[in-house]
Amino acid sequence: MSRPRVLVIDDEPQIHRFLGPALEAAGFEALTATTAEAGLRDIAARAPDAVVLDLGLPDMDGRAALERARAFYAGPVIILSARDQEIEKIAALDAGADDYVQKPFGVGELLARLRVALRRGGAAAAPTGPIRAGDLELDLAMRLVRRAGATVRLSPKEFDLLAVLAEAGGKVVTHAQLLTAVWGPAHREDVQYLRVFIGQLRQKLEAEAARPRHIVTEPGVGYRFLAD
Amino acid sequence: MSDTARARTGGLRDGPAGRAGGHVGGLALIGLANLAAHVSGVSGANLAMAFLAAVLISAASFGLGPALTSAMAAALTYNFFFLTPRLTLRIEHPADLVTFAVLFLAAVATGGLAGRARDQARRAAEQAQTVSGLLEASLSLSAAATEAEAARVLVERLSRAGVGAALVLTPRGPHGALGLAAGPPGLDSVGEATLAAAGEAWTAADARSSLGGDWSFRRVDGAKGPICVIGLRGVDTARRDSGYAEALIAQGAAALERARLAQAEAENVALRRADELRSALLNSISHDFRTPLASVMGAATTLRDFDDSLAPAVKRDLLESIAEDAERLNRHVGELLDIGRLEGGALAPRRDWLDAREAANGAIARMSGDGGRRVRRDFARDLSKVKADRTLLEQALLNLLENAATHGGEGPIEVACHEDPQSVVISVEDEGPGAPPEALDALFDRYRRLDRPSDRGGGLGLGLFIARGFVEALGGRIAAQSPVRDGRGMRMIIRLPKTATTPRGLL
Repeated sequence: MSRPRVLVIDDEPQIHRFLGPALEAAGFEALTATTAEAGLRDIAARAPDAVVLDLGLPDMDGRAALERARAFYAGPVIILSARDQEIEKIAALDAGADDYVQKPFGVGELLARLRVALRRGGAAAAPTGPIRAGDLELDLAMRLVRRAGATVRLSPKEFDLLAVLAEAGGKVVTHAQLLTAVWGPAHREDVQYLRVFIGQLRQKLEAEAARPRHIVTEPGVGYRFLAD
Repeated sequence: MSDTARARTGGLRDGPAGRAGGHVGGLALIGLANLAAHVSGVSGANLAMAFLAAVLISAASFGLGPALTSAMAAALTYNFFFLTPRLTLRIEHPADLVTFAVLFLAAVATGGLAGRARDQARRAAEQAQTVSGLLEASLSLSAAATEAEAARVLVERLSRAGVGAALVLTPRGPHGALGLAAGPPGLDSVGEATLAAAGEAWTAADARSSLGGDWSFRRVDGAKGPICVIGLRGVDTARRDSGYAEALIAQGAAALERARLAQAEAENVALRRADELRSALLNSISHDFRTPLASVMGAATTLRDFDDSLAPAVKRDLLESIAEDAERLNRHVGELLDIGRLEGGALAPRRDWLDAREAANGAIARMSGDGGRRVRRDFARDLSKVKADRTLLEQALLNLLENAATHGGEGPIEVACHEDPQSVVISVEDEGPGAPPEALDALFDRYRRLDRPSDRGGGLGLGLFIARGFVEALGGRIAAQSPVRDGRGMRMIIRLPKTATTPRGLL
């Protein structure tokens, strides 16, 4: 069985120095590029199973690199970002990046995101059966939600919102993506809608609404649905 | 026309001696007319014309008073010399009485009118000179950018206006104590008693004057409260009280106030700019810290999570990278501390006699990695000692060396220690690409790297800024030269002043 190939695009040699061995040890094949141009060439030429893209590349900003990659690459892309790159990070996620990890990060975190993204990439075409998350059971096709066996009554918007999050399968979904999917493009700025509806969902689905385990906030970016 | 020239000619015309001169001149003209009439033998109306002409000339030349004197003299001498009986003041014929009366009245009227016209013209000219003098003063006052300059111009203008010597004292420092802003040439400070008298004028409820030594002080108020205290030590009290001096002082005070406000505004702008730069610096610093932190954290978690599956060589390399980046972080922290010391003004250099070669060796030994191995030394065998702080000098040199190691290519780095008569010179030279001449000054600027924040080569990019700060704290100078040879290379030069000049022959 061939190992999944991961292309890491980062201009900082120190990052490659540990990420290479870590990826290899975790069962991936690590490819490296140090500029956006070289990275785009490698994506085209070597068809990696996933891409790890640093946002601080000297030759191109992250969003532009991602848009160019998305023109010919559909696989998962994980963004490496820094705290002062919030805006660029969100732009990259909205432009089609699958997830992000903030520097500095432990390799465990990056590998977990990578696995989620790869799993989703493989299963995206065929959403199957109900989704289980703790004592929750989501049947998206039937528009049915059960908590500890009992049916939970959700409003249509609440259900749509939950469905978008759950379908992302653990990936972060940005505010703009959620708003566009549930309320339409005219409302992509109306983040206050999300606060209200996410609050209601947590009241109905979480054991402790103040400490959510399934519908998790990614500050300033969006939300993430976690099964466990 | 300058104030001085105006004062001189004005003084001559207005003084008692000047006035007497006018009368004498008028009389002389009449004498001349008498002589001319006698010699030429004219008589009757022509004769009267000659006398009237003399009166007119003296009126135009000397003004109203001398004109009247001349008129009187003309009438009397005409009567005395030319009316029968001659050589008496008696008048025989009634017709001559009419002639005499007409001549007298005509002379007085002519002289009076012409004299008054001449006086008015002179006053107008004087006023024009005053106005142009004030305008000139106003121009040079408004050109004064600083308080000190405005004070200096005011003092100079006042003394040129013939007011006598002037002092300007302005509030200084945080407590607003008065200090000398400008004074007459050669006067650099004023005594306690003088200052106290000036202070009295400053704090007085009204703008009365107080005396201190031979100075007379008074406060000058502006639109926003008291501006300064002016002290006058003068010759000519009449001039001092003249409107001209008052107008000058008012203008000077306005210029002082303007300069003070402009200075405060400039300080505000500088503060705002410093704030902006500070936040830009924080952004750049956070990036510089994050990269090595990410590397340390990544390598450490890789070792922790995959201990079993990593080859021994890989483990070693990861440990190595953790150590390297920890060292990088340590350097950044050091630079931040240095910046803090420079900023806070807490830099109190210890001045001990030291050998620059030892400081250079110390810095070379402290270079990161095996950078020290690239260094070639070119040290003079004998070198004067300098009074300097070993820690600061060594750190400044280390920063130059690290800069050369990072940006100076792969070639050797040469450190040289020499001296000239005035200073000990330490230079650090690399064979890298160097920098264009126009960029050299900016190398030592604090925010140099902000315009290209993705330069990941070196430290915080503050090393050269710190080096300059330290060298200047030691009383030395730092400069960069590039290219050094063949269009390449960078040479950084530190000059530390010697306490005594060494004669050329001893070098």
